[in-house]
Amino acid sequence: MSARAAAAAFRPAPNGLAGAALLVLGWEAAARAFAGTYLIAGPVDVLAYLSGNGALMARALSETLGNAALGFVAGNCAAILLAAAAQLWPRGRAAIAGLALLVFCLPLVATGPILRVLLGPGPGPQIVLAALAVYYTTFVPLLVGLRAAPASWFDLVRSYGRGPVTELRRVRARAALPYLFAGLQIAAPAAFLGAMVGEFTGAERGMGVLTVRAMRALDVEATWALASVAALVSILAYAGIGALAEMVLRERPPVILSPPGAAGRGAGPARGALVLALAVAAWWIVLEAAGLPTFFAKRPDDFWAAFVTAPDAAAARATLLGALAETAIYVLPGYLAGLLLGAGLAIAILLVPAAAAVALPLAVALRSVPIVTSAPLLVLALGRGAVGTVTLVAIMVFFPSFVACLHGLRQAPGQVLDVFDSYAAGRVARLVHVQVPAMWPAFFAAARMAVPASVLAVTVVEWLATGQGVGSLMALSASLSDYDMLWGSVVAVALLSGAGYVAVGAVERRVLAVYAAEQVAG
Amino acid sequence: MSPGAPPEVECTRLSKGFDGGVEVLREIDLRIEAGRTTAFVGPSGCGKSTLLRLIAGLERPSSGAVEIGGRPPAETLRRAGLAVAFQDPSLLPWRTVRGNVELALKLARRRPRPRAVEDLIALVGLSGFGDARPAALSGGMRQRAAIARAMVTEPGLLLLDEPFGAVDELTRRQLAQDLPRLWEARETTAILVTHSIHEAVMLSDRVVVFSSRPARIVADVRIDLPRPRPAGTTADPHFLALSDRVSAALAKGMGDRADGLAAQ
Repeated sequence: MSARAAAAAFRPAPNGLAGAALLVLGWEAAARAFAGTYLIAGPVDVLAYLSGNGALMARALSETLGNAALGFVAGNCAAILLAAAAQLWPRGRAAIAGLALLVFCLPLVATGPILRVLLGPGPGPQIVLAALAVYYTTFVPLLVGLRAAPASWFDLVRSYGRGPVTELRRVRARAALPYLFAGLQIAAPAAFLGAMVGEFTGAERGMGVLTVRAMRALDVEATWALASVAALVSILAYAGIGALAEMVLRERPPVILSPPGAAGRGAGPARGALVLALAVAAWWIVLEAAGLPTFFAKRPDDFWAAFVTAPDAAAARATLLGALAETAIYVLPGYLAGLLLGAGLAIAILLVPAAAAVALPLAVALRSVPIVTSAPLLVLALGRGAVGTVTLVAIMVFFPSFVACLHGLRQAPGQVLDVFDSYAAGRVARLVHVQVPAMWPAFFAAARMAVPASVLAVTVVEWLATGQGVGSLMALSASLSDYDMLWGSVVAVALLSGAGYVAVGAVERRVLAVYAAEQVAG
Repeated sequence: MSPGAPPEVECTRLSKGFDGGVEVLREIDLRIEAGRTTAFVGPSGCGKSTLLRLIAGLERPSSGAVEIGGRPPAETLRRAGLAVAFQDPSLLPWRTVRGNVELALKLARRRPRPRAVEDLIALVGLSGFGDARPAALSGGMRQRAAIARAMVTEPGLLLLDEPFGAVDELTRRQLAQDLPRLWEARETTAILVTHSIHEAVMLSDRVVVFSSRPARIVADVRIDLPRPRPAGTTADPHFLALSDRVSAALAKGMGDRADGLAAQ
């Protein structure tokens, strides 16, 4: 495989126009099939709407795009700094990764109002929410990428008497580039969506505001026009980052040989307790420093009182744990479905490259359209039962897995693929013996990212469709101003995500000890 | 032709340039006899490895053609009729030495003779390292594992690109004794790229000397030393005379470049 082909991971297939045409035709056909249900507006209706409301759309788009871009930059810079810090300070790695996970777990229903109170009516909350939507999916692949280099390269740096900082600048930063680009591609639609969702929390201008207005008015044409613009912008950003990656990444991935050193201990109970203590401290310090009233910004001691010491604590606990159990049932199937859908789609594109022309734009579009827009359609198609819930969760979480795995498959060492070429080995043999094993580090990065994403996705589906579980409890407590229960729900979601993250880490260490020793050493 | 039968290799007016106008090979005409060992010698970066990759069907020529047994390389590739030991060992990090050698059999869809894998691992001096992963081996050991991998499928055409580059001197001498015996017993067509004159003369029936880039053939020296060639061969006056001829041709080939530039 040439360097050019390696970089093609980031680029839509050359037959993109044909694929786009196919998508648009399918969309129009679906719109006609569902005509009269007020669920889908076809491309013709959307174009008609856009041509009639061009100025309005352009103003909203420039507002949202500006906020998304600022959030994209801020979130990714934060991810780079966090990953670099975790690499340079190995003892702090668990704490940094743990806190990064917990912040990512905070549901919008809790962060939205707080940011609105803190930052006022301007674009601040939208920018912060866009940044929050992207930093984690860049941070996690970067942690992997910073280690994805042969041991001999580090030996070289050390042989000149230089330390970890030089290592980071000269070797790790370069090795992490493919993973950074994967993170940026994941971030492109997420930032736009984050900015739009941020506008739901009470902005005055932007695509999110128009979306809420259109949905309330059951204006299907406007809703779909907004979704189409969001999808198109995201697809362009995704493709643009892909083109940049192609220009920068010209080298074939190296064979990464790393001595089978002592595998790290991973998250032992002591580290877990430390992260928990830090999280509680950070919770308290941030809310105190911001001077938020305890009426709605509950502190750790309020939580303790409400769920442990208060007279009605037992009842509150029972409510919360009952809801948590309802949610937990769907997390694992939704998680696995999303992860496998992402990895499976990436593998399918490798085996049938022509499929990329349809699959890539569709995948980006699914990721960039707010779930409040697409959920009613999916619920109609799949129902409110287990299948519908799991499918919705899978659709909400598959994208980062897909991009990470697609990129991971391309980390197959070029020299080894030469050996396979010299035996005229087929696509399947390359896949099984080289590309999938080379994908494991990226796959496990995806597996880590998907944990909080699937927990949050289940709560969103519960809020939108099923009316069960923690998601429904959060929505209910927010509307009843029962802030103790709301914060309790946030804690429950965070703990559930943390447990899943630790479980994934345990599997990861076993697999990568064989397939990528450099990832688990130290 | 059975997959293992040694083929003849023929290059006709073979040229290769890369993007950016770098011309690596210019109109190479070369016929390599079946069942013999031929060494390519030339200055670093002259295009020997590129020629080997062209013969292996891993690169396409800019013009001209390669034929293996009268057919394009792709057909030999499809039958797994050739194997390459690459300059860089290119072992899969997650497979053991044995696993890497066995993988070649799997890719070539061959059943091994009983003990073939173990015997080869022993032959390249890796007994006791069959279960080791590449990261635990020295550079020379990795190269030897790659040689075992290339030989395990008993290919009719064996292409070796600087196969002993990282191997220590003593092991190198031992391999120079043992390996040719193995491929001669099977009458393999072997092509060896090296920049060691000593190795080229010791191992092969013919040494082709290339000029600096763009590579052209500047000498074609028949090595008529009797086989087998024990270690003492290196002191043989005829061996030394042949080495001198190759050495002189090599020096001339490097000088040619200046002449070529002057003529333009």
